[in-house]
Order: sequence, then C-alpha cells, then structure tokens
Amino acid sequence: MTARLSVTLKINGAERTAAVRPFDTLLTTLREDLALQGSKRGCNQGVCGACTVLIDGRPVRSCLSLTANCVDAEVTTIEGLAPEGRLCAIQKAFVETGAVQCGFCTSGMLLAAHACLQSNAKPTADDVKRALSGNLCRCSGYKKIVDAVLLAAEGGI
Amino acid sequence: MSAAIATAVGASLPRLESLEKITGRAQYIADLNRPGQLHAAITQATVAHARIKGYDTREAKAVPGVVAVLTGDDFPDGRMGAFIKDEPPIAKGKVRYFGEPVACVAAIDEETARRAARLVRVDYEELTALLTPEAALEEGAPAIHENLASYFKVWPAVCGGNVASETELSEGDIAQGFAEADVIVEGVFETSAQAHVAIEPCGALAEVDASGRVTLWSANQSVFRVQANVCESLLLPMSKLRSLTPRVGGGFGNKMEAHVQPMVVMLAIKTGRPVKMILNREEDFEIVRARHPFKIRMRTGAKTDGTLVAREAEVLLDCGAYGDDSPGVLGYSLLMSRGPYRIPHVRAYGRLVYTNKLRFGAFRGFGNPQVSFAGESQIDEIAAMLGLDPLDMRVKNMTQPGDRWFCGGELASIGLAECIEKARAASGWDQRASLTASPGKRRGMGVAIGAHISGLLGTGAIVRVLEDGSIVLNTGAVDIGQGSDTVLVQMCAEALKVPVEQVSLASPDTDGSPYNWGTTASRVTYTTGRAVVAAALEVEKQLKIHASEMLECDVGDLELRPGGKIGVVGVPGKEVPFLHISLRAHWRSGGPIVGHNTWVFNKPTLDPKRAAARGLPFPQIGVYSFVCTIADVEVDEASGKADVREAWSAVDVGRAINPGSVEGQMEGAFVQGMGFALTEAMVWDGPRLANPTLMDYKVPTTLDAPHGIHTIIVEAAEPEGPFGAKGVGEVGINPVAAAIANGVTAATGVRLRALPMTPERLLDAMLEAE
Amino acid sequence: MVAALHRPETLAEALGLLANEGARAISGGATLVAMMNASLAEPSVLVSLARISELRGFSRLPDGTARIGAMRLHRETAEESDLRDGQLIVALAARQIANATVRNMGTIGGSISFADPAADYPPALVAAHARVEIAGPAGRREVAAQEFFTGWYETALQSGEIVTAVLIPPAPAGTVAHYEKLARVSGDFAIASVAAVLQISGGRPAHVCLAIGGCGPAPVRVDAAEELLVSEGLTQAAIARAGDLIASHLDPLDDTRASADYRRKVVPRLLAKTLTALSRQPTDMS
Repeated sequence: MTARLSVTLKINGAERTAAVRPFDTLLTTLREDLALQGSKRGCNQGVCGACTVLIDGRPVRSCLSLTANCVDAEVTTIEGLAPEGRLCAIQKAFVETGAVQCGFCTSGMLLAAHACLQSNAKPTADDVKRALSGNLCRCSGYKKIVDAVLLAAEGGI
Repeated sequence: MSAAIATAVGASLPRLESLEKITGRAQYIADLNRPGQLHAAITQATVAHARIKGYDTREAKAVPGVVAVLTGDDFPDGRMGAFIKDEPPIAKGKVRYFGEPVACVAAIDEETARRAARLVRVDYEELTALLTPEAALEEGAPAIHENLASYFKVWPAVCGGNVASETELSEGDIAQGFAEADVIVEGVFETSAQAHVAIEPCGALAEVDASGRVTLWSANQSVFRVQANVCESLLLPMSKLRSLTPRVGGGFGNKMEAHVQPMVVMLAIKTGRPVKMILNREEDFEIVRARHPFKIRMRTGAKTDGTLVAREAEVLLDCGAYGDDSPGVLGYSLLMSRGPYRIPHVRAYGRLVYTNKLRFGAFRGFGNPQVSFAGESQIDEIAAMLGLDPLDMRVKNMTQPGDRWFCGGELASIGLAECIEKARAASGWDQRASLTASPGKRRGMGVAIGAHISGLLGTGAIVRVLEDGSIVLNTGAVDIGQGSDTVLVQMCAEALKVPVEQVSLASPDTDGSPYNWGTTASRVTYTTGRAVVAAALEVEKQLKIHASEMLECDVGDLELRPGGKIGVVGVPGKEVPFLHISLRAHWRSGGPIVGHNTWVFNKPTLDPKRAAARGLPFPQIGVYSFVCTIADVEVDEASGKADVREAWSAVDVGRAINPGSVEGQMEGAFVQGMGFALTEAMVWDGPRLANPTLMDYKVPTTLDAPHGIHTIIVEAAEPEGPFGAKGVGEVGINPVAAAIANGVTAATGVRLRALPMTPERLLDAMLEAE
Repeated sequence: MVAALHRPETLAEALGLLANEGARAISGGATLVAMMNASLAEPSVLVSLARISELRGFSRLPDGTARIGAMRLHRETAEESDLRDGQLIVALAARQIANATVRNMGTIGGSISFADPAADYPPALVAAHARVEIAGPAGRREVAAQEFFTGWYETALQSGEIVTAVLIPPAPAGTVAHYEKLARVSGDFAIASVAAVLQISGGRPAHVCLAIGGCGPAPVRVDAAEELLVSEGLTQAAIARAGDLIASHLDPLDDTRASADYRRKVVPRLLAKTLTALSRQPTDMS
C-alpha cells in the first residue's frame, strides 16, 4: 500500500487536513477523506462534469486534479455554495425553474453556473451554454438549466 | 394555504427533494457506506464466446487486503430474466460476451479490489463468436444458450436455436391491403445501439445480518425487480432479502433489471461483511445494457388520396447474450409498428436473436423509437409521392376516438388531433417555406407523431394518517429523477385536500412498501397514481366513519374540507381536524387509519376477434399518451453535419399533475432522442466495444441541444386515470429521430434510413444525390 | 502506482527529478490524470510543473515573437488579446478545446506533449510556423512545430525533456487566421480541422499556410497546395485543386469519430469553407 502524506487544503473557507496518496485526486479526497460527497464521480475522465468544483473561483474537474497539487488553492465545493444554509441565487433558481431532476449532475452544474455568473453578470443564453458545455445532463435536455442561470442573472429570484 | 391546496394537482411544484440535491446532500449509492465495509470489483472476460475450463485465483487472493475472490464456481445454479430465465448471476461454465463478469473480488479498498481482479486468470475454450443476428442465425452456428429449450419462460415463447423470441401480430389481410394500395413504399431501416448514460453509474451495497438475512441498497428502478432477480439467480427465498434504494441518478431503463446486485450480495454472504461495488464508466458501458440495434424492413401502402391501407413490418433485433427485457421490447415494438393510425391491414413480425454482445434491454421508448423512425419516415415518403403536406397526411389517417390500438387494445382518450393542431400552429409549420437557412446550410422542418402506453402490471399504495394528522404515503415506486415522488405526493395531497407539506413519502423498501413492478413503461403516474388515489379514498372513508361518531351525524352528510378536516355538509364550523380523528383512532377507538390499494392492469392487449398474435409477451397493456413533434433542422453543406435549431412537441398526457415535470420529461426526451438520431452509437471493434467511454461515446452537450425546445401540454383526460392523468416518461422520445430525419429530408432532399445520421452518412447521401 | 509527487519550484530542479526512471512531468493533469484513472498510465514518480513560475507567463520578444509559457492554460491563451493577425490562430484553436472547465486546467505544454493528432493546438501551431522550446538534461533547444509532432502521440521530446514554451513568430501585416473544426459534438476532439493563416495583399494571398488536424499521425501540410493558392489566388478552381492535393496527402484512420474515407472527402470542403470565410474577412492592407 502506498504511503500517505498529510496535506492541508483550504476548502469552503476552512482549513482541512487529509492523509492522501500521491495519485489521489481531489474528488477522491473530498468524497472519501473529508466526507464532502456532493461532488459526484460520473466518469472519472473529466468528461461528464459531475465532479466540477471551483479552484480559486474557477470551475475545474476534481477528478483530474491531484489533491497534492491543490494545497495552494482555495477550493469551493457544492457544500460551500450555501454558507450557513443561505442558498445562493443560482441554487434558488434551479429549484424555481425545475432544473433539478435526478440531481447527479446538479452539484457540478451549479458550480459551473455560479462561476459563469461571477465572470459575467448578464449572460445571454449562448453565454450560459458555453459556460456549461462541459457538464453533461441526461435528464433535462438542458433547457431549464439554462433558464435557471438566466433567471438568477436577472435577479428574478 | 388554501390556495396551495386547491392547486396541488396541476401546479408546477418544485421537486420535494430539491433542497438536498442543490446543496449536495442527496445520497446516491456511491455515497452510502457501512461499518467494516469491503469494496468489490469485477474481472471481465477477454473473449466473447467460450467455455470456461478453469480459473486460477491464487495470484489475486495473494494480494494483501483481498478478502474474497469468487468465480462462477462459487455461485449457485440460479438464473434470472424478466421473460426467459437465462441469465446466471455471473458467467458460469460459459462466457457469452466480451467483458462479461467472470469473477469478482472483495478487498479493503477499491484500488486493491481492482488490482486483484486484474490478476484472476481464466482458462477458456473459445467458441465461434456470433456478433450479429445474421451470424447467429446461420446454419451450424453454435448455440449461445444450449439449454434454451429447458429454461423457464414467463409467456408462451416461440424460440429455438439462437432465436430467443419470435413474435407475429396481424390484423386484416396484408396481401389484400397491398393489393388495394395505389402507392407502396418499402425500405430497410437500421438503428444503432444507444447507451443510456445515466450520469450515475450503477452500483450496489449489501450486508448480511446475524440470521443470514440480506439488506441490499442499489441504484435501481424497482426495489422489487432487484429482489426478484437477486433471489432467483442466487436461489434465495425472497423473504430473506430486503431491497432498498437511495436517490437514483437517472435510469432510462438501465437500472430496471439487475446489474451488479447478485454479485455484491454473494460477496457479502461469503465474506460476512458489508460489500460495496460501484462500476466505473467503462464497465457501466460494457456490462449493463443498451438500446437494441434494429433492422426493420417496412412497407406501407396508401390510396392516391393518401388513405393508408396496409403496413407490414419485419424486425430483427440483436438480443445480446441474455434475454433481459428483450422479448418485451420485440413484442412492444411490433405492437407500436402501425403507429397511431387507422390502417386496416397490418402485419408485424419479428425475431430476437442471441448474439455474443452485452445484453440489450429496456431503454426509454422500449423499441418504439426504432419502429417510429421507420414508420414515420414512410409516412413522409408517401406524402411526398402523393404531393400531400406531411401533416395533412397524418391528420387524414390518425387514430380517432372510438378506434382501437393495433391488435384491439382499448383507447379511452385520444388527444392526438389537438397535439397535431397545436404543434402545427406553434412551430409555424404552414409558413415553413419562408424559413431561410444560415450561410452554408440547408434548412427544413420535419414532423413525426407517436404514442406510448402507461398502463402495465401490478402496483399499490399505502396511505397512513399519523397521530398528529400528518400523512405518510408509501408506494414502493422509485423516483429515478423523473419526479414521481413529487407527483404522487401531489395526487395524495389533492385527494385528501391537504397541503403537500402535510404528506411525506416513504422510501421504497421491499419490507414495508406495497409491491410496485417498477419505474418503467411510463407507468408510475398513471398506474401507481391510481393506487394512491384509491388508497387516499380509503383513508377518507375511515376518517368519515370516525368523524360521524365524533360529530354524531351520518357518514353521508360529511365532506372532506381543505386543510385536513372532515365537516358536516352545509354547516360551516362543524368539523374535526385529522389530528383529532387520528388521536382517537390511535388511542381510543377503531385503530390507526391506514388506507391501502393494490391492483394490476388488466385490460387486454389483444382482441382475438380483430387480430391474431403469436408469441406476444404482453397480454395486458394499454392507456395511451400521444405526441406530435416538429423539428427545425439545418444541415451543413460542407460537412453534412445536422443540427436542430428548434423543436416543438405537443403531448397529450391526460392531465398534467405537474406541468413543469411534464416539460422536463419532454425536453430531456427530445435531447436524448436527438442523440439517438444524430450522434450516439455504440461501436464494436470485433467482439470488443470500441467506445465505452464518454470521450468516445458522444451525448449532446448544452451547445448541441437547442434552447428552443417547446412543450405544449394537451389534456385529453383518461377516464380511469388519476385526475385524468396518463404517462409522459417515454412518449416524447418516440417521434424525435423520425422528426429530425424528415427535417433532414426537407432540408436536403436526401433520406437516410440508418441512425445515427452522422455527418458522414449525410454527406455521402448528399453527394450521391448530386 | 505513483509513489511520489514532487512539486519543484525551478526548472533545474524539475529536470533533475525527471532524470529518474519512471518519472513523468504533470502539468494541468487534464490528460495524464484521466489516463491514470483509467489505468492507462502508471508513472512511478510525478513531477508537477505547477510551481515553476518561468513556465507560466506570456510575453512578447523584441522581434515580435509571442512566447507562451508551457504551463499557460488553454483559457489564458484563448483570451490572450495580444495574439493578433496570424498569431491569432493559436487563440482560435485554444477557444475550441473541450469546454470552459477543461480550459481552466489544460496547458499548452501538456497538450502538445501528449500530441493527440485530433487535438486543436497541433495544426494551429504548424500553421503559425511556431517553434517549440524544450529543456532537458542536454540544455535548451527549439524545434519547429512541424518537426515536433513526429507520429501518433509521438513528439520530438527526448527522455527527460519537457516543453518550456511555444514561440509564435510575428506574422506580416495583413495576415488573417481561421480555425475550422468539425467535431461530432461540441468540445469533442476533431474529426478533422483546418488551421489557416493567410497573408492577403492587394486582394491576393501573398502567403498561405494550411495545416490539417485529425487526419494522420501529425498535422498535414502540403507545400504544393499552398503554392498553388499563392500563384492562382483564391479562385474556386484553385481552392478545389488545393483541396484535392491536400486530401491526397492525408493519412487518416478509421475510428469511432469517422472513417478515413470521410476525412479525405470532407477536408477539401472544410478548406473551401475556411478560405471562403477568410476571403470575406477584412484585412489590414497597409
């Protein structure tokens, strides 16, 4: 068995320490060592986007990020999107528009959408589609997801 | 509060479980863990067809951290299968497809289990791999299931050799029909294997208690089918296994029958420890199941005025290695092959043939998208030959109230005419000649119509009034993401005139839930919904008996009042809340209030006076939803790549219990159908699946799907449906490929009869046409 | 199984670590970690280039050459406003790589070192006459992009060497660029792609550089086709002949994206689309 190394990560504003193997991905560390299971493993190859988290505010694949390489970064997971239970606009908009179906893509989708709105407060539908094109959803056909991001941007929530 | 009550049914309420899903707290199978749990992995066959001569598991067992290595020799001789009991829990004696699990390993962690699984050696005596139905039908082809004749079958199957099932349905006189036709179109249509790609891969977790009783959590569409499959294949009494489900990350048919549950249960039994197995994406592609590739020879005949007179369909289905739901898919596709039309002379015949590929099985549409692609293409071909508008052609021939479905099934509600009319208006169909294409592209609109059932098999509901008057609904129906939990609660709340917040839903549990065949066949809203309403009525009856004693009046003078009260008709204020009734029932008189209902759909599929059938696996199905879909399509002249700009689907769902969820189903179905039509195909390189990854198997992204997917809800109430409702889960996908194909033809003048319509196929056809 | 992950701060330190057997450099991880997850790559030691500041930057050399550090993210290159005229081809290609999330991870050095022939950078770099800057045990060297991509997933990198930067030479005034990518769905690798850099002068192409991606072990360039377009101009006939010439030099495979035959058929059509787009583009005629 491979030796584990203690690393300290900044996750959702708090310092968290985990004993990780050099090949452990951030997704594995979050899910298995830190009990942050909101990030999902859909393909483990960086295609589906269910594992998307924010690193320094930008969406990345946690399944393709080595944990040991994330020690200098600020990591935001779905669990950090609603500090103290206060839902952010994009979360409320997902509920309101019916953008949540099975929910397996939802965490990654929300983080990608949140980052989209952070960088572009008034996106068009095409902007939103470009921002979310790395997140696969098999239930929704994407329409209500895009609508949810637009609704959140309009401040209608 | 009362406003919410009045609109429980018909309101686009957010999913009940929304909050947990948007905060990352929803738990799926991969999120569950038990103390002392082991992790499991599979060893996959490296040949497609072989006898297993022996195993060498020594190296795998020697890996530190490995607790158990099981092969087929360690499993009992049980077999499972929805129609034919032909499938062992793990390859046993024989391998029937490349990638089939031949051994499974439990170890202290997933890495160790996977590493050890790669070290299991299997000694094979290879047999000829039969990779197409044609090869499997050849004389002298080795039998994939030597003991097919002796396997138990749940219907009067016609089978033999490598033919798993043969089915034939007919109405009228097909020879006479074509003799009467002025024009006949004939063609061979082919569709590809489509992968479900639920974003959640399959997985299971099992543990065994001190008495040997098994508790099994898994990603599934029916805790009851899981229970049946595991117990049949492992020869366990069903009462010795409790099947549960956490949240499910999409199903589309893939999680209805068993996947890894039997192996996981066996590992838990052998090790005495909890065992969890989560498939990786490649395994999920390679060993679970997929949509059947179809070859369809179809002929349709019409009079010069456009009246359809005859249709004949002959289909050949690749079954893959095991029967699974395939005989049902064959029978259902034939039953759907006439389409929602009046055609007096119809013959549908098909064969389902075992091959050495992964089992094919249920996938949203259940054979209907394939035959609809063929049938709806031919309606357009005939319309073009006769110079008729494709929509007029459909209106002229569509099924009308009072008609029967092909073979005689009853049609109690038909909203098809309204669907066509509304899709026509919304899409601007009649003005389509004025559409202009983007530079370098050609543009066209295509239409297709369709229908799908929602009544099938057994179901139940239990409604309990708790001591405080709040309500718990228990149906055993698994919400796989489509929203049935919310819809069933809405119906229960409406029936009892309480706010939806007052109704909670019990999680499906074979120990405590009434039987539910499954979340499949678009059946939960209609079939389970009926049980919910009936159980709620039973509760109302009991509440009124209590109330009549409490208010000292006749039961007949009582009414259900909004907000959870029973009152005396015409006497405002004279009422008792559920709370008081329930306290009395629990502590003093009558006993706790529990309403329940179970039923099985029993309307016949076949009317022997109208039609003849041989080998039909569904004696009782029905209750049809209808749809009309129009797609605005563009084709790139340089590459042949087709894109959908916009789409309209008008759908008759009887009554939309939750219109937002209806839209969600229709939008998702459109894009999944678009993938089937344009980009998705599982490809084999010899016996091996060449694209078992999301890198290589391509589902549409946000940038491929149109944002303009318009759903128009039509409500032709189903007389016996709960609040008039019918199903919506599958109907939306059936016409999509055909509508896009017809749009491609409108844009380019060329007709493709093979799916997916890749740039390559389209460009070739366009160049040939030039 | 990876036994260690090193995170050196200097290039020298990294090269020292990479001299060890089984060591492999990791940049963004978008490809290598995916392969490790699928057990397709099992390096024993990983050397992360993430903290080496000299690999990160974008700069302009005195002669106008754009220097893109190997660790530059696809997003940064896609958004680089200082890549203009002919150099723009590299940004245009970067914008079409995968999706926004992957562009936040993947790096130009990592991508070209992996050298997927259907990736977006290889044809763009060839069309831009880019050079690849390499450092290794024997010091630094530069290789022309066209010589860098040597075969299916093979590059000119020797054992222990890494890419440190990509150098894009300045393009003459009036140079325009277009990247035409055909893929099954958005963000997929290309079935085929055309990277074109043209200098238009007096309404005629004075210089043409075309590189085709996804149609062979490395980007395909056909001198004769480029010369023909320069000598005959962007006439329909010349474009068609150039397309045929290029098609005859392609060396594609049948794969799950498309057949080799289709690629030969579609490349001339994509080329025509590209050149038509470019001939419509306003150019700086000064």
